[in-house]
Amino acid sequence: MVKIPTKILLVDDEKDLIEMLSLRLQETGEKVKSAYSGQECLETLDKNNIDVVILDIKMPGMDGIETLKEIKKRFPLVEVIMLTGHGSTETAVEGMKLGAFDYLLKPADFSDLSQKLESARKRKDEQEDRIRMAEAKSLLRKTGGS
Amino acid sequence: MLVDDEEDFRRTIAKRLKKRGLAPEEAGSGNECLALLENKAVDIVVLDVKMPGMDGIETLRHIKEKFTETEVILLTGHAVTSDGISGIKAGAFDYLSKPIEFEHLLSKIKQAYNKIIREEEKRKDAEFRAGMEQQMIATERLASLGTLSAGVAHEINNPLAIINESVGWMRLILKKDELAEMPRKEDFEKALGKIEKGVDRARRITHQLLETVRKNNSVFTQVDLKELSQEAVELLGQETKNRDIHFFYEMEESACTIWSDPYQVRQVLINLLTNAAHAIDTGGKITIILKAGVDDIILTIRDTGNGIPKENLDKIFEPFFSTKSPGKGTGLGLFVTRSIIDKLGGKVTVKSRLGHGTSFNITLPKYYEINK
Repeated sequence: MVKIPTKILLVDDEKDLIEMLSLRLQETGEKVKSAYSGQECLETLDKNNIDVVILDIKMPGMDGIETLKEIKKRFPLVEVIMLTGHGSTETAVEGMKLGAFDYLLKPADFSDLSQKLESARKRKDEQEDRIRMAEAKSLLRKTGGS
Repeated sequence: MLVDDEEDFRRTIAKRLKKRGLAPEEAGSGNECLALLENKAVDIVVLDVKMPGMDGIETLRHIKEKFTETEVILLTGHAVTSDGISGIKAGAFDYLSKPIEFEHLLSKIKQAYNKIIREEEKRKDAEFRAGMEQQMIATERLASLGTLSAGVAHEINNPLAIINESVGWMRLILKKDELAEMPRKEDFEKALGKIEKGVDRARRITHQLLETVRKNNSVFTQVDLKELSQEAVELLGQETKNRDIHFFYEMEESACTIWSDPYQVRQVLINLLTNAAHAIDTGGKITIILKAGVDDIILTIRDTGNGIPKENLDKIFEPFFSTKSPGKGTGLGLFVTRSIIDKLGGKVTVKSRLGHGTSFNITLPKYYEINK
């Protein structure tokens, strides 16, 4: 079976980490873009079709939580997985209340990450399917009514 | 103690001192004096300088050498002040010239006694201060160490993540068809395995360190200790089942419910139970005992393991102290445990007998006030 690649955007100010994680994910067949700040993340989302954002919580400038709020406002269908180097899961929980799909502690276990990526992607696909069906229905009703 | 070779003089003075409520010992020579001191500590020695055999000055030197807290008043004969002065130089409290006036002697004795009391107070005070200081240093050291190590742990997680992803990527590359015939591939894989293990070990340490500073996001709610204990035992899981370790519960109903932070308490239980499980051999027993006090509960976790040697008992709560082989224990379990218990307003103590087992006692308040 040919794997359908998940379109992932990695956001972290740690460039080396982004580079290696992106190479690793690409090796497993995913499509990966990178951004080194919250601002860059939003710009990338503007120009590209992304399924899942992996977002570091602690970044200089616009931090993970702010970025998350902005993502959810402007691209509500994009799923976000929070990445934290901090033991405190408090911020991660806050993120999930704000609409993040899940969180991971650094250094993340790759099988954990893969699993979460897949579930996030699945949730997005299903959501989009539902939207399409609802749209089709409303379209039908319109044509039926006229 | 009165020391004089002139028995009549000695007796007279002793009698008069007794009348004033003092209970003097008597000695007829320097040797006798030292022998008596050997058996019974004396505050003040009134010592004649001119004695046959060991004279007063020599006796004084011996006293000052061996019984540092004893004060000596010298009695010099015939207004020989030089004896008195050399005596004071050798550590005597003061000297009196014979013939002495009794009231004069008595007031000297009182002065000497007051000096002893002052010295004693000073010593106790210094001891108390030293103890306090030591305790404060220890507490501060632990607190700042906690903050520092959590900061370090946080900073280390990023490079650790980089190593982790790099290794993972290399693993994926090695699996490619184009590298199926790569020379010495196994060596590469072996080395990657070691790196992965190392990362895993470091990760466990950093994550555990970060546990210690989870201070400000405590949750307080009703905690069912019985339930939590059983849950923690479940979490230990397969390993304990494989090794045929048995758990016993002795719980007073009234001690089962407290107000505290369930996550932290569970962490403590897991840490202590894991240690207990590691300490015992196959077929060992772990008993969890819950008792109610007035305002607190006492939770005991007792194992039938090998026990902790006395010299280690003081160290087990220190960070990074571990007797497990490298990679097995982080040396942080009990450190974390104590930090948590402190935070929850409790106390943790340990008792151990080599070859018989170890008990950890935790006291936790039934109601812990929030915002501490």
